[in-house]
Amino acid sequence: MKGTNITETIHYIGVDDTSIDLFESQYPVPDGISYNSYLIMDEKIAIMDTVDRRESAAWWNNIERLLDGRTPDYLIVQHMEPDHTGTIADAVERYPGLQIVASARAVQMLPQFFGATDFAQRTIAVKEGDTLSLGHHTLQFVMAPMVHWPEVMVTYDQAARVIFSADAFGTFGALRGAIIADSATGSPAWPDEARRYYYNICGKYGAPVQTLLKKLSALDIATICPLHGPVLTADLGHYISLYDRWSRYEAETDGVLIAYATIHGGTGKAAHHMADLLRARGASEVTVIELSRSDMSAAVAEAFRHKRLIVAASSYDASVFPPMYDFLHHLQLKGYQHRRVGIIENGSWAPTAGRVMKEMLEQMKELELAEPIVTIRSTMKPTDQPAMEALAEAMLA
Amino acid sequence: MTTKYYCTVCDWVYDPTVGDPDSGIAPGTKFEDIPDDWACPVCGVTKDMFEIVEE
Repeated sequence: MKGTNITETIHYIGVDDTSIDLFESQYPVPDGISYNSYLIMDEKIAIMDTVDRRESAAWWNNIERLLDGRTPDYLIVQHMEPDHTGTIADAVERYPGLQIVASARAVQMLPQFFGATDFAQRTIAVKEGDTLSLGHHTLQFVMAPMVHWPEVMVTYDQAARVIFSADAFGTFGALRGAIIADSATGSPAWPDEARRYYYNICGKYGAPVQTLLKKLSALDIATICPLHGPVLTADLGHYISLYDRWSRYEAETDGVLIAYATIHGGTGKAAHHMADLLRARGASEVTVIELSRSDMSAAVAEAFRHKRLIVAASSYDASVFPPMYDFLHHLQLKGYQHRRVGIIENGSWAPTAGRVMKEMLEQMKELELAEPIVTIRSTMKPTDQPAMEALAEAMLA
Repeated sequence: MTTKYYCTVCDWVYDPTVGDPDSGIAPGTKFEDIPDDWACPVCGVTKDMFEIVEE
């Protein structure tokens, strides 16, 4: 590990995981993921969170090298999810004087995850605004319930003006030594992967994220240290404004996403034809995704990025082809809202997909359904053209 | 008086004047009158996990 300093006294001790197939058993991470953890060297020594058990050996190496024989006093646990708590039990055992500092809810959760460890006299429960002095550094705790678990807190280092932001401002991708992000404008990958991370992991919790952003706006922040992805030191306003927009469920493009689920290709052909119709009418951006062959988490993020969505699917077993059902279920879970939506269904004998998609969409907030619902019979025909054109018009109206 | 309740798991506050329309709880519904199968709209725990907001 090289170049671990965030400041003179705050060190990165996180680890990369480049062999994991699916993060949280769900999200493809072709470029891996980092489990971030930090060490504050002061009169008292604090460890900020731990890492996933998968990479515990590398974490111990990092920490022991920097400690150089000293012993840590505090382990700050901001989030209890196992990708950040994998070495808590080992740390408690290795350092008998180590105190765990966490929210009351996190303290309650400790025995749920680590039943074999005795935490008696080993925990300090903190609440909003509590502080902990390490000597030069004073840590101020800011509660962040439901970003994206109830026990989450973030920690502000008053001296260094660093916010340890838990999962907020995190992203996928291993760091490979590039601990500090390039400027936001120089890292085109950050918004795309951070958006995919945000909507899939925090999407449901827009209101709690807004509450946290308001609390953060009262702090003078120079550096954001998240639990995944690079440390952010420049253009913080850019990252914060993206988070503000995402947590308000605001689209980033006026364009249209066409998400389709096709069995033999007929629906797919109609979806691509619709894209042509929209482009011909001057749509600012048209994106087409085949749900069966795309990463679901990317499709979800694209749905939120666009202001408009057309769902096109085959009928199947008197319902809708499952990849579309799965997609709409994901959107519902993540709080998809405030969008204009159009429907194209296909059915060879009894079209049912449209009804099912409409019912699922009706359970979401503030969606405006563009008319008409287009019904294709097996393959699109010239007689379908008027309805297709009418839907294209209505989508862009 | 309209008594507010908060979720002890996630801090979400139930305000009877607002209700929880997304879950079918009309504005003006007292917390006591919410059906037992209702759940916190943010974190999903049941009604028994709520406590009165002391003001």
